[in-house]
Amino acid sequence: MNIIEVRNLYKSYPKPGNKKESFNAVDGITFNIKVGEVYGILGPNGAGKTTTLEMLEGLNDIESGSALIDGLDVSNNAFKVKEIIGVQLQANEYFDRLDLTELLILFGKLYSQEIDSEVLLKKVDLLDKSNAKPEELSGGQKQRFSIACALVNNPKILFLDEPTTGLDPQAKRNLWNLVKELNAAGMTIVLTTHNMEEAETLCNRIAIMDQGKLIVEDTPQGLIQKYASQPLQAPLHGNIEDVFLTLTGHKLRD
Amino acid sequence: MYSLLLLGISLGIKMFTSLQLHLAKVFLKIFVRDRQSILFSLFFPLVFMGAFLFSGGEPDPINLGLVNNSTNTVSKNFTEIVTGDPLFNITEGEESDLKEQLFLGDQTAIIVIPENFDYLKKTGELRLLLDASQVRQLGTIKEALNTSLLSIERELRNAEPMFSVKVEDIKARPQRYIDFLLPGLLAFMLMNLSIAGSGFNIVEYRRRGILKRLFVTPIQPKDFIVSIVLARLAIVLVQISVVLGLAITLLDIKIVGSLFSLYGMVVLGTVIFLCLGFCLGSFAKTQEAIRPMVSAFVFPQLILSGVFFPISSMPELMQPVAHALPLSVIATGLRDIANDGTSLLILNTTTLGVGIWLILSFIIVTRFFVWKEVAS
Repeated sequence: MNIIEVRNLYKSYPKPGNKKESFNAVDGITFNIKVGEVYGILGPNGAGKTTTLEMLEGLNDIESGSALIDGLDVSNNAFKVKEIIGVQLQANEYFDRLDLTELLILFGKLYSQEIDSEVLLKKVDLLDKSNAKPEELSGGQKQRFSIACALVNNPKILFLDEPTTGLDPQAKRNLWNLVKELNAAGMTIVLTTHNMEEAETLCNRIAIMDQGKLIVEDTPQGLIQKYASQPLQAPLHGNIEDVFLTLTGHKLRD
Repeated sequence: MYSLLLLGISLGIKMFTSLQLHLAKVFLKIFVRDRQSILFSLFFPLVFMGAFLFSGGEPDPINLGLVNNSTNTVSKNFTEIVTGDPLFNITEGEESDLKEQLFLGDQTAIIVIPENFDYLKKTGELRLLLDASQVRQLGTIKEALNTSLLSIERELRNAEPMFSVKVEDIKARPQRYIDFLLPGLLAFMLMNLSIAGSGFNIVEYRRRGILKRLFVTPIQPKDFIVSIVLARLAIVLVQISVVLGLAITLLDIKIVGSLFSLYGMVVLGTVIFLCLGFCLGSFAKTQEAIRPMVSAFVFPQLILSGVFFPISSMPELMQPVAHALPLSVIATGLRDIANDGTSLLILNTTTLGVGIWLILSFIIVTRFFVWKEVAS
């Protein structure tokens, strides 16, 4: 069953440097996401990944085409859609002078829900930081807290926009485990990433976007078989990241 | 009366949703934890009032030079009366010396009593030499001199005055400059606090992506605005109360009108400036843009709105503009209530002006505060 159905989605912006002309940031894309899937959107910078997510999240107006989330048309039911999705944005800053517990309670209130901040903090492994301010957290902790905020309404779908950009390998793997746990509990997850290993490890299916168009969509294995079935060079060994992790251990550093 | 007020407040609170109240509490918490900004928003008005505390709130006496070219009783009498007047600080001396002092600015004016200063012969023409730059005080000086002359005249006629004027100050006390200043200062304070609360905060929250984060939750723009307004109102009311309380206890300021009207006017003023601040905040795309925009909004009003000087002392051409500015409407409103005892509920040009600004700022804020643009 599809929980997200996107048909012919368009979004145009004025061209940078030449405001009179416009370009299609998202150029007529169509895809479906099934319940319980981890769906990855890949693509170089400026491919239209974030714009696509923002249209699904109701942050950005849909210019033409349609997007159904859990049967709701996003254009007409933005507020209802917002109630069943959780969103982690690329920028994750919060109101000053509030600690993690206070922020989570505030986010709960935004969904008219009384939440147990300890349960959420425990889920993202930040229970010992409940009285810390977000700016006192490390990059990985910040991302995990940002996911905790996205979970306050126990969403059906979780949107993650480049969740591991800028994280060290330990924090990255830790976040992957968190995503896997949430998915195992039944949550549908849509994520964008530049990290190919992340896409391969986490995603059930991957869509690759370029210049606003969705150029290919399949399972990671399917894509590899189709486009890279002949290894350029047989991997005789692991990569430098494996070296790094062997030497520094898998234990989280923050 | 107070139970009615409490009822009103509790009804008022029920008007708001629990989300709005919770968000308002959060904004209050954020503000209360920001010690520095609390301190500095109270700093200016308190320092200002402190200066008045040391000078006793009275303006300095006007320095007057007195040249007495006559020796008769009339001139003696006159000299005594003028010297006894607390308005003046009299220096007697030669005309040439005093003129030099006048030139240097040590004297504001010189009164010259002519040699033949005489009532019966009607040759009592006094000369007043002025420093043109101090011409603002001419009215005060002239009036005081006339009163002195009048009382001498009565004495010489040896008769009770035909008509007497018993001065009954309807404000029951002399109007000091601080009495004029305080309401303006309160208005200026609430304007600054409101603009900072809405305009600056909006731009800052947008720049840091906080508004965007809020926008992906089901919160309505209305809830966000209402909660900021509630929180700011609480902040403004507390800060105004601190300054007002100190003014009443330390500077012996008496509020002639009701506190209900005074606080009502503060609330309306705060709402007006918060709305205008939201507009500035949604117009300004960057933190760099909001500062000059707010300056362009605040400074003309600071100068033109009769906070420090009465609008009537301004060039006539500018007076209608000055009277129409939101800050002057609020300052005048507060002054009417504090000094003249008018009520917020009486319809006059000032309350009408407040009403118009209230409606206008509501219209502007609902038109220009667009959540999506503000958030993105």
